[in-house]
Amino acid sequence: MIGTNGDLLRQMKTKIDGIENLVHELQLLGGGVPAIEKNAQCILSFTHALQFGISDIAEVEDL
Amino acid sequence: MGVLGRNYWNPFVETLPREKLRRLQIRNFRKILKYAKEHSGLYRETHQGIEPEDIRSMDDIRKIPMIDKEDLRCAQTGKEPFPFGDLLGVPVEEVSTFRQTSGTTGTPVYVPESWESWQWRVEVWCHILWMAGFRETDRVFIPFGYNVYVAFWEGHYAAEKLGCTVIPGGALDTKGRLNKIREVRATALLNTPTYGLHMAETARSLGLSPQEMGIARMVCAGEPLPDATRKRLEESWGAEVYDHIGGTEPCAWAAMCKERKGLHIMEPFFLVEILDMETLSREVEEGELGVAVVTPLGRRSFPLIRFNTKDVVRKGKSGCACGRTSMMIQGMAGRADDLRKIRGVLFTPVSVEEVVRGEFPEIAEYEIVVERKGIMDEISLKVEPEQEIGEEVMKELMKRISERLKMKTNLRFLIRPLKPGALPRYTLKSKRFRDLREMKGGEAS
Repeated sequence: MIGTNGDLLRQMKTKIDGIENLVHELQLLGGGVPAIEKNAQCILSFTHALQFGISDIAEVEDL
Repeated sequence: MGVLGRNYWNPFVETLPREKLRRLQIRNFRKILKYAKEHSGLYRETHQGIEPEDIRSMDDIRKIPMIDKEDLRCAQTGKEPFPFGDLLGVPVEEVSTFRQTSGTTGTPVYVPESWESWQWRVEVWCHILWMAGFRETDRVFIPFGYNVYVAFWEGHYAAEKLGCTVIPGGALDTKGRLNKIREVRATALLNTPTYGLHMAETARSLGLSPQEMGIARMVCAGEPLPDATRKRLEESWGAEVYDHIGGTEPCAWAAMCKERKGLHIMEPFFLVEILDMETLSREVEEGELGVAVVTPLGRRSFPLIRFNTKDVVRKGKSGCACGRTSMMIQGMAGRADDLRKIRGVLFTPVSVEEVVRGEFPEIAEYEIVVERKGIMDEISLKVEPEQEIGEEVMKELMKRISERLKMKTNLRFLIRPLKPGALPRYTLKSKRFRDLREMKGGEAS
């Protein structure tokens, strides 16, 4: 069953966390620039969806 | 992952074993409750003394108060920030869009979305469309101007995200829309059941065969879709037709897979409880009717904790031949608001739709009217045939409809025949049920 593939899920979770951290760093660098702030916010909306569909599953595998 | 992965939008959530799904839902319930208490004025006030950390089981969750549409209205009317009021879960400057309920049962509710929350809703709809077989090669025609009604917006954004080509069909009449479908060779539709039937009827009146227009699949929204109506749509269009259940406030929370035998609850996006209609305190058994109480678990702009949808559904089993592990809904029986007692008999308009659409293809449109005549309730059914039929044939048809309705509902209907085209055609929500007892101040318990 795909739903029990813990290693793959954990690897993907690490990448998703990495994207989120990079975007937060970008927000700090580009603070005050609308093009940075708004696009960064959009990226974080997609990482929210990925956290819900991937990172949360990885975490429940580890509970 | 290969081929198996392409069967699912997200195989990791869709095939997760049930006990893990439940653990995830309870964990995410704690998270959204904590968030709601910290960010929404309504929950700070109404959920005082409830500690999210104490929630460990479904029994704990059942002790949390429910909210309903009237609570949402109260939280918005005259409250700041305008127009979203106390329920808003994000700073008002983060609201990027809002939709409104249709106002069928009272003052419309404003449903605000941050970009994050909107994308969460879109992700849910990606699951719905993917389950219904929508793919990158589809050209999706949406024959509406969407205004502030949410489902077609969600479907539009989700179809784009899937990689489909989306054609919005507002600002055209029905003939123009049929022409556009042919012009762009659309392969899929998002539609209301009523308008799907009306488009097919109009196509035939123009000498076109809807079955030959190239539509392979259709997802319906906006109204209940009994299986009889769904099958009539399938026959009319020669297409696979899929239902979903949802609402503007909670989002779409159940949808059909390719099996088309009931609807999958969109777990783990939602925690859905199906509770007994009398006390709303007990989870019903498989096969029983109950009221759906829904908590969206990842939407922060408009947190809903145990929202009583008032949708009456029949609980199904968990698991399906498609491989998804989510709990199923066998079907929608109607809205608790639409349940009426007529001459002491509990009645839902969906039961009439099942008979008319399932057994009488010669009937194009209908309308149910309940009136008080003296001390008695009278229920009548106006029926409009597809085409002009003779008096004798109509008499025979009325007799058969009356007998079948008596068997199905235990009520004696007065059947009133009309000329073809006499009843209105609806695009969004149809109004085929009128209880005139309420208008005259009569009882309608």
